[in-house]
Amino acid sequence: MIEKINNLKKEILDKLSEIKDSKALADLEVFYLGRKGEFTKILRDISNVVPEKRAAMGKAANQIKKEIQEKVNEFKMQFESKETQEGEEDITLPGVKFETGHLHPITQLQYEMEDLFTSMGFMTLSGPELESDYYNFEAINIPPYHPARDTQDTFYIDSKNKEGENDLVMRTHTSSVQVRAMQKHGAPLKAIVPGRVFRSEATDVRHEHTFYQVEGFVIDRDITFSHMKGILELVGKKLFGPETKIRMRPKYYPFVEPGSNGEYTCFLCHGKGCNLCKKTGWLEILGSGMIHPNVLRAGGIDPDEYQGYAFGFGLNRLAQLRYKTDDVRLFNSGDLKFIKQF
Amino acid sequence: MNLSLNWLREYVDIPKKIKAEELGQSLTMHTVEVEEIRSEAEKFKDIVVGKIIEVKKHPNADRLQIALVDIGEEKLSIVCGAPNIAPGQKIPVALVGAVLPNGLEIKKAEVRGEVSKGMLCAPDEIGLGDDHSGILILDKNAKVAKPLAEHFKMEDTIIEVDNKSLSNRPDLWGHIGMAREISAIHGLKFKDYSYDLEKDSCKSDCEKLNIKVEDHKDCPRYMAVSMKGIKIADSPKWIQERLLAVGMRPINNIVDITNYVMLETGQPMHAFDKNLVDKIIVRKAKKGEEMKTLDGENRKLEENTIVIADSAKPLAIAGVMGGEDSEISSETKEIIFESANFDFVSVRKTSNKLSLRTESSARFEKGLDPNLCEKGLARAIDLVKQIIPEAEVSSDLVDHKKFELNLGPIEIELDWFEQILGIAIPTKKIINTLNNLGFSTEEKEDKIKVAIPTWRATKDVSIKEDIAEEIARIYGYDNIPGSMPKLEMSAPIQNTELKLLRKIREALKGLAFAEVYNYSFVNEEQLKKMGIDSSDYIPLANPLSANQTLLRQKISTNLISNVVTNQARFDKFSIFEIGTVFLNHAGEINKDNRSEEKLPYQESRLGMLIAANKDKGIFREAKGAAEAMFRELNIDIAFCESSAQSNWSDKQAMADIYLSDGRGSSAGVLLGTISKLDPKIAKSMGIKKSVTVMEFFVNEILTTSNKQQDKLYKPAAKYPALLRDLAFVVNKKIAFSDILKMIYDHNDYIEEVELFDVYEGESIGADNKNLAFRVRYQADRTLTADEVDNIQKELLKKLSEQFEAQIRDY
Ligand SMILES: [Zn+2]
Repeated sequence: MIEKINNLKKEILDKLSEIKDSKALADLEVFYLGRKGEFTKILRDISNVVPEKRAAMGKAANQIKKEIQEKVNEFKMQFESKETQEGEEDITLPGVKFETGHLHPITQLQYEMEDLFTSMGFMTLSGPELESDYYNFEAINIPPYHPARDTQDTFYIDSKNKEGENDLVMRTHTSSVQVRAMQKHGAPLKAIVPGRVFRSEATDVRHEHTFYQVEGFVIDRDITFSHMKGILELVGKKLFGPETKIRMRPKYYPFVEPGSNGEYTCFLCHGKGCNLCKKTGWLEILGSGMIHPNVLRAGGIDPDEYQGYAFGFGLNRLAQLRYKTDDVRLFNSGDLKFIKQF
Repeated sequence: MNLSLNWLREYVDIPKKIKAEELGQSLTMHTVEVEEIRSEAEKFKDIVVGKIIEVKKHPNADRLQIALVDIGEEKLSIVCGAPNIAPGQKIPVALVGAVLPNGLEIKKAEVRGEVSKGMLCAPDEIGLGDDHSGILILDKNAKVAKPLAEHFKMEDTIIEVDNKSLSNRPDLWGHIGMAREISAIHGLKFKDYSYDLEKDSCKSDCEKLNIKVEDHKDCPRYMAVSMKGIKIADSPKWIQERLLAVGMRPINNIVDITNYVMLETGQPMHAFDKNLVDKIIVRKAKKGEEMKTLDGENRKLEENTIVIADSAKPLAIAGVMGGEDSEISSETKEIIFESANFDFVSVRKTSNKLSLRTESSARFEKGLDPNLCEKGLARAIDLVKQIIPEAEVSSDLVDHKKFELNLGPIEIELDWFEQILGIAIPTKKIINTLNNLGFSTEEKEDKIKVAIPTWRATKDVSIKEDIAEEIARIYGYDNIPGSMPKLEMSAPIQNTELKLLRKIREALKGLAFAEVYNYSFVNEEQLKKMGIDSSDYIPLANPLSANQTLLRQKISTNLISNVVTNQARFDKFSIFEIGTVFLNHAGEINKDNRSEEKLPYQESRLGMLIAANKDKGIFREAKGAAEAMFRELNIDIAFCESSAQSNWSDKQAMADIYLSDGRGSSAGVLLGTISKLDPKIAKSMGIKKSVTVMEFFVNEILTTSNKQQDKLYKPAAKYPALLRDLAFVVNKKIAFSDILKMIYDHNDYIEEVELFDVYEGESIGADNKNLAFRVRYQADRTLTADEVDNIQKELLKKLSEQFEAQIRDY
């Protein structure tokens, strides 16, 4: 047995002396010393030797293996130092390509908003996308045949209630979660609701029937319009830079009173007026207002005790502004030419 | 809605120093959104009066002529298609560079080989009505080279207001209402239209009109009066100019007056030819009734539509549109003016059903003030008398009414305004603002009583919050400073689902997956191609397109469609989507708070897809991705034989994915499914790649993840482990998982089994595969080689007995 091992040692050392490069060396190492190598096979055979001799033989065999390994390592170092001296790296060659993944740009913006509001103590809530007419409209002070329904083209579900009406909709705004949240969590309440919303609008470069919003609301004692403006100012600075100002003006939403929209200083021209802001210096970004007492009541909150504000951002709009995309339909296209840019 | 600045000036004193732009800006900041401000002259920029010198045939086109036109400084040759031109005529010429109101830019052009330097304009092309029958022929005395705007004496400025921003303000749908608003914003004098219906009333030989309102719920107020001595003709120029300026086409004096009154006061009016109407009944339409409306359409009326009828037939659809039968014509000698108020819900329903939106219905829908009927009627009589001096009121005034308005007063504690707005506004300012807007106020100690003016009382203003808005918006939202509330600190409750989804997204990003968003909608055809029965899919009642009619029940369907979008550009790609699916059975979420009904079941799913040109290895790669992702969640998964898979799955490559029991078998919690897309179905969908899809139930992952304990540190084993390799050939049909299970079950010392090679090839037989494992033996003591070899020998024996494994020796 030992003899067999020694023969093999000789054979290996002979071959080693003839080797010219590291590739051949590696092949040789695998052939003899590898997991399925010749030398390893022999070592395995030792286990079949009678126990009395096994220990001594094992020791010897391992000693020889160690010697060979050392020799191999010596050669290896020689080759390596020689080879690196010979051919320097062409550092201008491109790196080996590692494939990386991509999060959807809307997801990225949504996370940014979630992080901002979570840091200020807001909960993040979700609600059903297929919603009842009740929570999407009635509960937030938009009764049937209210003219505000005109401004929201609604996808209705083809099912009728006992009165023969289509009473299920694809939610037209994340405001549908307001009353659900009040009923579940009560007051005080600080929450945002990011999510997908739907309007039955024909699509083109600027219109989409499926888009994304972040709704927010704060309900507590002594919450004022001024507080709403304060937090929206802060959001503007986070989104568009510390110099950003907010401009608010009346806008009618049935679920708030007083109601307001919000515009931020155009980040491109810093308020001077450019094509992006249609020469106004302002970008219309959000809707907001003090929560209507009827909405608080629908949520089981006493409007004489509590008041609050609500606001909503369109994430598509924010994404369009930030990434300068030219077609709103790209967001739902599943087109990797688009997604892989983010 | 278009507002004429000149018109507004009749009702509010606007000093010259307040420019239109400033007015637009202040309306936007305090009341409604102004979309555009344009001067009438601007509309006709680079359009001048020209004189036709000669007209000749176009050499290369029968229908075209070439006109030589004098525009003062030079003579232009212009190709023209209209038949009505002749030498000597004065016509409007759009010069090169002009942009017509319809957006057409005039360029120097060659028309069939002839140079044309400008364009002769038809009325519709320059926004003067919709006549396109020929070129507009101007007055003989028109001065050549004069800008057209000057010729027409157009000095007005138009302020265009976004109609959507007016939806809560029925009082602002006319110039008078806007004038009041401007007066309040700028502190200017408002001059309301004052009237005296008594003074206008019939003095002798007064007829009694036969008018009946069946249900005042449909029609809270109906006022009418007849006038005789009517001569139908064109309106005077000043009325026509006003109408054109705000974009309404002049028709004849009486119709123009009804429109004028509506645009001025906000009250829609209607005029019937008295001789064509024997009496007037406001009633619901009868079954099967039809009528021809003024737009020439024959309309079938639903039973609950409110109509104005005579004894025989409907004359008008209340609040929406009149009918041809009682239309004012050149023969009309006597008219009945209607100034009425109709139920806004009913008008809205009717206008929706008929898809007929009119200036009138747009106003009624907002909930007009029933008291506005008086002002409208008075103004109409007034205008008729001005224009047709012979005309006089010929009947008693009819006024059927039944309505209630909540005029308040609303009692508010004065310091409440600061509590809601966060700023102290002086009481004097509060009172001034309200008074300028028409609210009367009474201050009483620390309270104020606010009475609501009738034009704000229908739906607009009813609670103290509404009053707060009035004060805040006139004060200016911009003048309220922002501040931060003082709130108690508390850590927000975490949304564990969103937290999990974020972790999943990050993990998949790390695994080189790209996140896509798809629509929530699918269609029958698409499902049919995939062998999916769509009968149980929830349909939309009003889909936008045939491609999007049903709500998705799987993320996979649209994810698979994404392969078509991307296959040409990318050889291989991995995508995922997290989204909601909608199933056609009741879920757990309440529909409302009045009943026990539930919304349809909705849940969040994760879809993952790998597509590549080569089929080889894709399935295992997808499995690997899933395993890696779940490792991030500290969840161990097992792939088990599929229980119920979709028709579109390749039957050779599909599995259910379970929470693992730690040894490669199911622990009973189904997390998702995996399958290769059936090649035949792929082909029918135009897919040229090999595709493997996975779909996971987010709820199940969440429940599992919540139960999962934190990762625990394992100290390195005290005693050395022994490694043994194991390789054998088995039939392809034998599942790896069964073999793995047997190996693990074989002996407690078997700590870890790793598959390091799978080989298939001719050399081992076409039906076979070679599997190579490394087995790690570990115990709480030093295992001897003998011991382990014996265990392994037993194992090999078992494998060959049970799976007919042929052991390959090393
Ligand atoms: Zn700008």
